[in-house]
Amino acid sequence: MSSRIPDTHAEAWNLLPWLANGRLQANDREWVEAHVHGCAECRAELETQRQVFSQMRAAGESPSGAVTPSGTVTDEQRSFDKLWSRIEAAESAAPAPALAPAVAGTDGGTAVARGNTRTARTVRWLAAAVIVQGFGLALFGLNALRTSDAAQAGEFRTVSSVDPHAAVLADAPAVRLVFAPGATIDQINTLLSHQGLSIVSGPGLSGNFTAALSAETIASGASAESVAAVISKDPNVTFAQPIAR
Amino acid sequence: MALKTIETQPSRIPGPSTDASERELLERIAKHKDQVAFRTLYGNYYHRLSRLLARMSVRREDIEEVVNDTFWVVWTKAGEFRGASQLSTWIIGIAYRRALNCLRRARIRPVADHEFDEDSVSVESGEEEETNQQWLSLGLERLPVEQRMALELTYTLGHSCEEVAAILDCPVNTVKTRLFRARETLKRVLPPLAGMTGDPA
Repeated sequence: MSSRIPDTHAEAWNLLPWLANGRLQANDREWVEAHVHGCAECRAELETQRQVFSQMRAAGESPSGAVTPSGTVTDEQRSFDKLWSRIEAAESAAPAPALAPAVAGTDGGTAVARGNTRTARTVRWLAAAVIVQGFGLALFGLNALRTSDAAQAGEFRTVSSVDPHAAVLADAPAVRLVFAPGATIDQINTLLSHQGLSIVSGPGLSGNFTAALSAETIASGASAESVAAVISKDPNVTFAQPIAR
Repeated sequence: MALKTIETQPSRIPGPSTDASERELLERIAKHKDQVAFRTLYGNYYHRLSRLLARMSVRREDIEEVVNDTFWVVWTKAGEFRGASQLSTWIIGIAYRRALNCLRRARIRPVADHEFDEDSVSVESGEEEETNQQWLSLGLERLPVEQRMALELTYTLGHSCEEVAAILDCPVNTVKTRLFRARETLKRVLPPLAGMTGDPA
């Protein structure tokens, strides 16, 4: 044993924490255990480290662990919900990917998994609905532009021209919203128009859109919070939340 | 007062089967953007990471952010995990580096060796089990963060020396040295530990 390394005692001493936690590799464990067997100092130290290991592990497993900042399932779910909203917001800005097969898991079997299954069905349905609505909105927008052009004789505008009343600043306040499945194109357009909103991205994974407040709306004193509060009560909207931009 | 002995049990570190099942979750995330798999993996690590970050002195209000930043990386980089290490090593390593960045932003400097006050810590007397953990908790708080993390990863999370080195991104011998110093310091500042040294079971 002592021929294995120049200073067996020092090396064994260094490895005692992993002998205590059971994670010492087999080839090391053999000679370290042999050394400890014949070394009173190492035996005492091993006992000390086993007790520290036990105490730290017990504290880590305790629901009210000494330093665990939050230990409830509610905290965990709330934190996850925040992360998922962040992911959805980021992905709603990108082209919508294929929907997540949220029901593919077999290891869930929990209320969360069941909830996600229901959510996934709803999400698929909503996504399909809003895609159809999106096409309709685009057609409606083009038609509105043409109508506006005709009314403003002598003013030449193209499809890409910016409507000064609907102009949206790059960092304008915005709301995230999901339309009700039964909402019609006319209802959605009326809602957006009345609140001075312009769709700037979407649909996201959950069929959510991001709509920004126009410069004119902001000038009138409205905020993302106030607009979200109003439209969340509209029967054509199932979800509305202000977002920071 | 001696720390109460608790019979040593098998480590909590994910074994091969746990690692394999977590790799399956990661694969589902990478290939299918599977929300259920992601939620399950998040639940497997939420408390472990929260505790570890608290031990690193990450502020309570920042812990959730660091955990979520870590899992943001897991979500976006799941397909890039090559499996050279255990999945837990990869995830905890991400959290460790994110936490260091967070501490730098908050200008919270980990306790340095020369600042260490070796006066013994003291706590109010109380139930033995609770008091023992308070002793240890106070002692750990006074260690430099690198030593504290080496202890936490080894004892609370049950990692091997090689895994701790991978998480902390340092040589194996550095891990041994950090743990050696942490052990010596704890014995100096915690009377129960010092008292036990000459009292082997």
